[in-house]
Amino acid sequence: MSHFILKRIASALIGLIGVISLVFFLIHMIPGDPIDVMLGESALAADREALRQGLGLHLPLYEQWWNYFTALAQGNFGHSLFSGRPIVDLLLERIPATLHLSLIALTVAIIIALPLGLLAATRQHSLYDYGSMGFALFGMSIPNFWMGPLLILIGALWLGWFPVSGREGWNAVVLPALTLGTAMAAILARMIRSSLLEILGEDFLRTARAKGLSSIKAIVSHALPNALLPVLTLLGLQLGGLLGGAVITETVFAWPGLGLLMIEAIQQRDYPVVQAAVLCISMTYIVVNLMTDLLYAWLDPRINLQNPS
Amino acid sequence: MVPIAWLLFLCVCFVGGCTESPPENIIRIGLAIAPTNLDPRLATDAPSARVNRLLYSRLVDFADDATAIPALATWEALTPTHYRFVLREPRPTFPEGTPLTAKDVLDTYRSILDPKTASPHRGLLHNIRKINTPSELAIDFFLLHPDPLFPSYLVIGILPANLIEMNHPFHENPVGSGPFLFHQRPDDSRLILKRRHDAQLMEFVKVLNPTVRTLKLLAGEIHLLQNDLPPELVTYLSENPSIFYQHKEGSKFSYIGFNHQDPIVGQKLIRKAIAHAINREQIIQFALGGRARLAQALFPPSHWVGASQLEGYGYDPMQAMELLRQAGFSRERSPTLIYKTSTDPFRLRLATIIQEQLRQVGIHMSIHSHDWGTFYGDIKSGHFQMYSLAWVGLKTPDIFRQAFHSQSVPPQGVNRGRYTDPVTDDLIAKAERTPETNQQRDLYRSLQERLLDTLPYVPLWYEDNVALSTRAIRGYTVRTDGNFDSLVHVQWATPTTLRSQIVRQTDS
Repeated sequence: MSHFILKRIASALIGLIGVISLVFFLIHMIPGDPIDVMLGESALAADREALRQGLGLHLPLYEQWWNYFTALAQGNFGHSLFSGRPIVDLLLERIPATLHLSLIALTVAIIIALPLGLLAATRQHSLYDYGSMGFALFGMSIPNFWMGPLLILIGALWLGWFPVSGREGWNAVVLPALTLGTAMAAILARMIRSSLLEILGEDFLRTARAKGLSSIKAIVSHALPNALLPVLTLLGLQLGGLLGGAVITETVFAWPGLGLLMIEAIQQRDYPVVQAAVLCISMTYIVVNLMTDLLYAWLDPRINLQNPS
Repeated sequence: MVPIAWLLFLCVCFVGGCTESPPENIIRIGLAIAPTNLDPRLATDAPSARVNRLLYSRLVDFADDATAIPALATWEALTPTHYRFVLREPRPTFPEGTPLTAKDVLDTYRSILDPKTASPHRGLLHNIRKINTPSELAIDFFLLHPDPLFPSYLVIGILPANLIEMNHPFHENPVGSGPFLFHQRPDDSRLILKRRHDAQLMEFVKVLNPTVRTLKLLAGEIHLLQNDLPPELVTYLSENPSIFYQHKEGSKFSYIGFNHQDPIVGQKLIRKAIAHAINREQIIQFALGGRARLAQALFPPSHWVGASQLEGYGYDPMQAMELLRQAGFSRERSPTLIYKTSTDPFRLRLATIIQEQLRQVGIHMSIHSHDWGTFYGDIKSGHFQMYSLAWVGLKTPDIFRQAFHSQSVPPQGVNRGRYTDPVTDDLIAKAERTPETNQQRDLYRSLQERLLDTLPYVPLWYEDNVALSTRAIRGYTVRTDGNFDSLVHVQWATPTTLRSQIVRQTDS
């Protein structure tokens, strides 16, 4: 197991270096100069040059890249070019918000998707099945930028139960989590249904029933654990995506998360913040995927991490 | 499945504890863009400048016609290159109670002029040769060259000298002598200030999405919105009885700029044809909801150099077609232009209207919309044929040199269209040299006539400033310059205990 984890960490590090380098060069290649945004256009040419030198932006790109990596290796993320604040502080402000929203959205998605998927699979071709899958189709089709304001209108303005946006108060997370969760639930429900349908036709389940196990017990104890394995992969991927920042939902709900930070930094050409945010998101994906693999092995003893082949 | 559910539940409980309860009895103002830098020596963006006015006092301010008027200090020009400013009593105090002195002014301006500070305002003040403080109340500025506009440049907030020496991080923990004190900045999107005279808290909340800002106002989560809303949302809110709507003529100048090195739009005839082809009245009436005034020049007529005598280019498609014909174009050989704009939905809508109006006179225009950084980068580097932008917060006529002088091509200035006209250069130089205000005004008016004739920009309109507030507060007055100064007078309309009930009733 430890050999597997070490191998994964080593490959993750190579992936991280690749991602950070790619983002570093891409963000420096797109038009727009942070010096102009920082000093405005009326600044003296000498001041612009002085600031450029002060920030090290006058150096050749490969030198800037090397300086960035050596600083990063020492745990120095640098400062935002615009607010002047340490980037670590900015990330520490935003990561809890993203984590908060992602986990609750995932919980909402599971709570909705599991019964819907179960119902659809066990009552195939019935009204329940069509209703559940109709909901799934509906959930997948509605974009978050429309679903968000709709939920605000109902939940915040008409009912007055939740705040419109922001992250203040325990109930502020409900509407953004519902927006994200329903879209995820739709995909999950379809996945659970198809996976369960496959399992329900298996011999071992017929044997379980023949041995006198009730239908519900057979499904919950035998079919569901097996059906959930592919769902787990999907969950891992979706959680990775959520932790990377649900940009649209964060924008609609003014949720101070990582995605919003990155978008704003890209618009301002705040290079160090963009790089730190990408690093954070890449690491999240890698960690979540690693966790998914480990969970897979734990749930399914047939999977051998020592020798995956 | 059970372990996963437990894991999720624990995570949710753990992270869920991080959220704070909303503070009570706080007046909230919704912003589209949050202030980025609370150090007035470094701030360049409009939201920062507006908030910094609340936190810091300044030597000079502007009257409604944008002439410089005394704020902290009165002044006199002892010689054309020697200005003496004398602090007025009673002087404002810094948070710890010490009154602002000439040394604070001296150290603030010295730190701006210090290249190590990397202040964007150093260029504006480069004419200062020396600063002295002959007494605790007087500050002498010695200039390299005479400049009658010099006092109007001294509008930067004054910082306490002792903290400047200690390299205090003003950008994140501002300390000034303005009517508000810095209270808290929970995160980048929220800033809480405390009003000095009654300790009332006011929070600036950034909400990017205009629809959500509107919904927050209707739900009573924010109490005031100013500008940055699409016209249809302004109209919707202005008709809502629970919202108090005010608007005032503004000075935000929208225009279409051209690349004068381009073989097509570099021709004056083409620019004039475009000016005649755009039906600005119709755009103002239908796209801007009537909340704008036609513009003929950079400054509105109410400005002290404003040129009210200017007659702009009226909507005249026949004249536009005639001008195109004179330029060698016809229906069969029509010009094709590229119009650059940002991704802002409202700016894109305006672009499509202009596209259609130009098509009617035989000009084909394709719209290229880019994210702000790319768009702005293209404009400065001259990679455009025509574009649309707006000038916000213009006060002093030094903008003419920056925007239209042949030596002000970026990065030396903001002559983005590479406009060169010896007559314009000459008028700018003459106006700058003239010590007498009336003469200077006349020269600037002549300059604006020249600009309207040569059309480096097609002037479009001045957008009105709009303020929308809930009935829970009173006393806010929208200003021509869009500043938040009247927050000093804002009060709750009703006692706190009744407020939430009223908000609920008005919403339902």
